[in-house]
Amino acid sequence: MSELLVLGLKFAFLALLWVFIWFVGAVIRSDLFGRRVPATDTPAPGPAMAAPEPSPARPQKPSWGARRAAKRMPTALRISQGKQAGLTMTLGDQLKIGRSADCQLILDDDYVSTRHARIYRTTTGYMVEDLGSTNGTYLNQERLSAPAPFTPSDTLRIGRTLLIVEV
Amino acid sequence: MSEVVVPRKRTGASAAMMLFALALGAGGYVLVALNQNAAFPADWVMTIGAGIQFGGPWFVGIVAWFALGAITWGVTRWRLPYADPLILPVVFLLNGLGLSMIYRLDQADGLRSAELQMFWLVLAVSAYCAVVMLLRDHRRLQRYTYVWFLAGLILLLSPLLPVLGKENHGARIWIEVGPFSFQPAEIAKIVLSVAFAAYLVEKRDVLAMAGRRFAGIDFPRPRDLGPILIAWGFSLVVLVFQKDLGTTLLFFGLFVMMLYVATERPSWAILGFGMVGVLGVLGYLFFDHVQTRFSSWLNPFSDYDRNLQVISAQFGFAWGGLFGTGWGMGRPYLTPLAKNDFIAAALGEELGLFGLVAVIVLFALVVARVLKVALASREPFGKLLATGLAFVFALQVFVIVGGVTRLLPLTGLTTPFVSQGGSSLVSNYLLLGLILTITHQVRRPQAEQADAGQVVSLSSDATQALPAIRTHGPSGVEPRPDPASVASSPAEQAHDPATPASPAHDPADAPTQVVRRDNGEEPR
Repeated sequence: MSELLVLGLKFAFLALLWVFIWFVGAVIRSDLFGRRVPATDTPAPGPAMAAPEPSPARPQKPSWGARRAAKRMPTALRISQGKQAGLTMTLGDQLKIGRSADCQLILDDDYVSTRHARIYRTTTGYMVEDLGSTNGTYLNQERLSAPAPFTPSDTLRIGRTLLIVEV
Repeated sequence: MSEVVVPRKRTGASAAMMLFALALGAGGYVLVALNQNAAFPADWVMTIGAGIQFGGPWFVGIVAWFALGAITWGVTRWRLPYADPLILPVVFLLNGLGLSMIYRLDQADGLRSAELQMFWLVLAVSAYCAVVMLLRDHRRLQRYTYVWFLAGLILLLSPLLPVLGKENHGARIWIEVGPFSFQPAEIAKIVLSVAFAAYLVEKRDVLAMAGRRFAGIDFPRPRDLGPILIAWGFSLVVLVFQKDLGTTLLFFGLFVMMLYVATERPSWAILGFGMVGVLGVLGYLFFDHVQTRFSSWLNPFSDYDRNLQVISAQFGFAWGGLFGTGWGMGRPYLTPLAKNDFIAAALGEELGLFGLVAVIVLFALVVARVLKVALASREPFGKLLATGLAFVFALQVFVIVGGVTRLLPLTGLTTPFVSQGGSSLVSNYLLLGLILTITHQVRRPQAEQADAGQVVSLSSDATQALPAIRTHGPSGVEPRPDPASVASSPAEQAHDPATPASPAHDPADAPTQVVRRDNGEEPR
């Protein structure tokens, strides 16, 4: 190979190395602040949360993944906020939540009744039911009066604890 | 108010960067052969142990390289869609530069280390994929604090075992199983980071609060410090026996830094630096090899025979100059151990100052991305673990590149992802898997963020500050604050318990406030 070509390739390689770093910098720059979306657009809070505003960032139709996730049977219950945040439990046929020792999920929370709520499996999915608690069970900010379906797009509030189910 | 910041996935950008990185790595490989022989690389032959052999034309290696990159990227996108888009491409670029340089050094010594390294890369990527697919949530590691401590100690001790251990280049840091030798300290680095993080999350309040003050520094109670001191003393004693200074420095640095980050007390950092100083002086006085290291750092040219390695690295840098000699055109093979410890010198010679600085910037970018995620993390374990892993990675690069460029005394460590060495590669890919899992957990949109405005989270103790009660405010009578109406994110409270629970109840705009329960202030 001619020396000129060798020299050219040497500088081209170094230049490309720095172009790579420059690209990384550009990605970091645009990534720095993330993307602001209205809270209603994030997957977890349910439809009852606020008046749905049409947002340009995301179409109203739920994505393919979200629809598929909604169809599948949830397998785990996770505490997403509260004193025991991060705790994950496998969902069985039924799960009682409360403060007493005979509950499967014992919440360390002063606003939770002894036997507070129950999550049970049906053929179509999991349902949640309030067991006559003092402070109520809220599914997507709405107080439960009758058993309601609990899907991965819903947030359940018991006392100060937020729970979600995961597929 | 009802807005959340969702980090972008940047799938497209990540894929483009990945291809760019893979192409640059392959470009180095091809350029070596083009520059040296004006022809494409010779046939590609990989021999594993005795007997098993793969081979083919030169582009088989490149195809395998691209395939590995694509698989790694795909698995990451599939299991960790919100993982940092940049770390993986940057790591693969570093790895590609390292592989090309190992291949280039192979041309001088006739070995086939590049192919062997490629085989290790396959193992490393498999280990990485296993971590990414099986772990999912790094918090699951938090449960096994003491198991991690034990595992770390066993890993550190294993080279001292009579049959398994092997001494190599004056340091007893290897174990040998069959045809493979392994450096367990590389894995111990990760295991102990996890152990320290899990332990300190549990105990940081006690470590920061309880204890007595002596000489201006708050010392924790001995029983709280016990496990860490034992672990640290163990690693120190073991490493002094194994005569591996670099790893000792790494573990001690990790220990001090994590304590500092967990307790937020600068006294720990000061104490740590002091102890490094004492350790250095003691090491200098009592160990011959430390004295050798110091003299070859300060006056390398006084003894050409003994300091040949450092001196030829210096000549290499000088010969490379600003832009380097070009791939395959220098003589980096004159430096002993150019493929492992001194690969930075080889890169500096053939890519020049510009190339070496680019490599260092790439390392810095990885560290910066991980530290940024640590800052953004909302739970303490991920925060501490990410900080610890980023720090141990950064310290390793600093110590070895500093040693090679004579900024620091030379200590034998590998350059992560670049140097030849299977154990280093596998453990660094494990570390990468852990890091990307944390970034995925931190960056993915959180449901609780959206709910922060509606849902209460009073901190856990019952005697905490309640917001003031307004009796006849502008909005009329307000009842005792319902727990569901007070807004505050748990992260804020965890960091600053003194913050009033809600900005709406700030004393500055509460002229009608009658009672403040929290600290017994006079009614205004």
